Amino acid sequence: MTTMPKESKVEERILKELTSIVGGKNATTAKHIRYAYSYDMSFVQPKLPDYVVMAETVEQIQEVLRLANREKIPVVPYTAGTNIGGLCIPERGGILLDLKKMNRIIKIDPESHYAVIEPGVSHGQLAEALYEHKLRFGWPVGPPSASVSSCAISHGIGGLNARYGLNSQEITSMEVVLPTGELVRVGSCAINEEAWHSTLPLPKLDGLFKGWLGGTGVVTKLGITVHPIPPFLKVFTVSCDNVEDMYSYMLNLSNYEICDDLTAVSWWLAQVPIPYPYKPKPDGAPEWFSFANTNSFTEKEREARVEIWQMVVEEEKKKGTSLNVTQYPEEALRARTQLPSQIVGSTKNYCKMGGAGISWPGTFTPANKWAPVYREWKKLLIGHNLSPSVRMSMYRGVHYGMLRAMIPFNKQNPEETENARKAIVECLKVDLDHGGIPYKPPIDFGVEINKRAHPGYLELLRRVKKFLDPNDIMNPGKLGI
Amino acid sequence: MEWKISSLKDLEHYFWRCTACGTCRSAYTFGPPPFAKPICPAGHEFGFEGFYSSKGKAAFARGICDGTLTFDDPEFVDAIYRCTICAGCQSQCQVDYKPHIPEVIEAMRREAVLAGAGPMPLQKNLIQSMKNYNNPYQGPRRLRTEWIRPFKKEKRPIKDINKEPAPILFYVGCTGAFNLTARAVPTATANIFQKLGLDFGILGEEEICCGSTAMRLGDAEEFKRVATRYLEMFKMLHEERGVNTIITSCAGCYRAIKKDYILSSEYDKMMNGIEVIHTAEYVNRLFQQGKLKFEKELPWTVTYHDPCHTGRHLNRFVVDHDGSQLWPGAFVDRDESKCLYEQPRKVLQAIPGLKLVEMERIRSNSFCCGGGGGVMTGYGDWAVRNASLRIAEGMETGAEKMVSICPFCHYNLNEGAKRIGSPMNVHDLTELIDRVLPDKA
Repeated sequence: MTTMPKESKVEERILKELTSIVGGKNATTAKHIRYAYSYDMSFVQPKLPDYVVMAETVEQIQEVLRLANREKIPVVPYTAGTNIGGLCIPERGGILLDLKKMNRIIKIDPESHYAVIEPGVSHGQLAEALYEHKLRFGWPVGPPSASVSSCAISHGIGGLNARYGLNSQEITSMEVVLPTGELVRVGSCAINEEAWHSTLPLPKLDGLFKGWLGGTGVVTKLGITVHPIPPFLKVFTVSCDNVEDMYSYMLNLSNYEICDDLTAVSWWLAQVPIPYPYKPKPDGAPEWFSFANTNSFTEKEREARVEIWQMVVEEEKKKGTSLNVTQYPEEALRARTQLPSQIVGSTKNYCKMGGAGISWPGTFTPANKWAPVYREWKKLLIGHNLSPSVRMSMYRGVHYGMLRAMIPFNKQNPEETENARKAIVECLKVDLDHGGIPYKPPIDFGVEINKRAHPGYLELLRRVKKFLDPNDIMNPGKLGI
Repeated sequence: MEWKISSLKDLEHYFWRCTACGTCRSAYTFGPPPFAKPICPAGHEFGFEGFYSSKGKAAFARGICDGTLTFDDPEFVDAIYRCTICAGCQSQCQVDYKPHIPEVIEAMRREAVLAGAGPMPLQKNLIQSMKNYNNPYQGPRRLRTEWIRPFKKEKRPIKDINKEPAPILFYVGCTGAFNLTARAVPTATANIFQKLGLDFGILGEEEICCGSTAMRLGDAEEFKRVATRYLEMFKMLHEERGVNTIITSCAGCYRAIKKDYILSSEYDKMMNGIEVIHTAEYVNRLFQQGKLKFEKELPWTVTYHDPCHTGRHLNRFVVDHDGSQLWPGAFVDRDESKCLYEQPRKVLQAIPGLKLVEMERIRSNSFCCGGGGGVMTGYGDWAVRNASLRIAEGMETGAEKMVSICPFCHYNLNEGAKRIGSPMNVHDLTELIDRVLPDKA
């Protein structure tokens, strides 16, 4: 049994005001409602919010934030709660602001290739709507019910990351309610309210709201780039016996920039589900698998991409690496190429065997450090009886990429949860020391980041936060400052 | 007779397998084209996470087990009854919690009943009615056979199986017998059976509630009372009246006998030699065997609503209980072969002149009518609001009628249509069959 969330103190006066803003059906202090928001998949200890509020309009959000700012009550914005870093766990109680009712797709511009969405729009919902225009977005390996907006503003990654970069790089405009209740816009929609096509060439003020873990405001509308769906898919699958050979192949292939997604996973992550606790890889099984998605508009284009890929494979073989063209495990391949996916998104892939818990050292790490970090992670994780289920993905070029280990654990058992937490934090320290940076970080990670941070960076962070959120009400504590 | 009905504690391992990922919140398929639609009536209506699908219910169950949530909070008790137990979320879940989701919801209700807190006041009336009248409608015994009066009048008597033997027992069900709108269902069923020349009988005034409602509301003792009586009665009918087939047109009764009664240690012994079958399945079987033909035309455009009770509630889940396949308690596979998805559609498609057009949410992704799990009794307004959502979805297909095979859905959906002023009528499949079957089939 995990630790029961601590009871909090609610004020009838505040509830009354919240009710007057959003209506009686949308504001509550009922314990059972608050309880359902007190935990997520991660190792972060459960904590109860004091109030839960569902907003349906921007004006309601403004009023809620004005009230919270005046009363100095923390506010935690929430869409689906599917992150694995405890980002929506209310560290200091306060108002849990559930935005899932704001789920309108406001606009899809099939000519200019952008869409404008509200925060509650899910990946599944947007995928369905975009498909009518034969358009797509970089769907992550999260649940189809997870929020497009929350993923994007938290630097989430998607299935087009090798081609277009992170989902946060796809943001074209934003409407945001500041912690003090003012409504602001950044990007082209700030100049012309109908124009949501670009954050450039204006100063990139969208950076004030991306990667801040909900600490600087509530994004109420988001413009994102969307892309045509090329009809011809080809997935290149290879395996290697060691991480160095796999890195060499990925580096080589990424130079040609022909992939939408160029990813490798260790044997443990290629299993559906990830083995829990650790079990050794069978003798003779490759340690690494890679899938690389390419999408082409014509068969000829596809053939050209295949030609490049075959050339890379030949080059790698000539180097004497252990690379083999191989079959990727079928269900795992489907889970990663047919996105959004219920297989990966439901965490069938991740924690079906472990039981309820999943967390990670999820990082952006220089690609040339993947191999040494993986080797250390492997030792650490096996030492904790956990599978080294590691993924490496190239982001738009070869400079850096995602390096992460998905770590399932039995959340019903506090010892097993703590074991996973310790292992993950140890892994993170290794990665930080190699120049990696964690994304969507739990507080434990924030603390480790800040220990290493340049004092000027931390001071700037504090100043910006103070400027936007003078009373530190927005998702307080998450940044570890 | 012993019953293996799980306590919440028995299921604790399983609701701790819920990852809180929220995949259960919407029906989704990759396609292409992708398909993503709301699936949870309670989540759609109430919005807060706790109300949403199996994720929310796992939270409630965990809260009960860790002592945070208690039944002395009436708002909490109310919350666990605000669910249609439609299992739409179960269709989406991919982890080991999946096979046990409706069971966890019902186990919470059983805890509430044991604590003296459940069910909700209006539902308590229903349970009391079961105790007083042996049916949930406070219907006097003699009213149960009101629907057969026209048969008597037209000199087409229906056998009372207590007095005359017959190989087929037509199990009517309380909704068909007592609900005026739903009486069309047993009437049409009996018409069909007579046209087919079947030798069948009914229990008449001896019929009581199957116990489905009590089970859904968490009153295990009341369920056991009626189910025990029925298992003994079925055995007697088989041995003394020659009954070897029980046919019902009621989805709830069908589900109860097929899925709830098997929780009895004596089920196999008591039901030995008896097949339980839904009318839609029976008619389709005859049709596939070439034993009946529909001759009359029915130039209707219809859409078909899959009831939860005859659909996904009949899923069979393969669970690795001893860990020999995957690990102890692992969900291994789902077997949909017992779900009545194809049979009613095949019957509809065989009707001359009829055009079947499908809604978006069908089969395992069917959107509940909103009446199940005690919601129609406990939260009538919400049940009808939800039904009107389903009617609206039906209207989008261009169909003029909606067809189903559950008297409960039949009633609730018709109420939903009235609420939004929809011209769409909801018919039971038996009504359509009755119209197109020749008098001497």
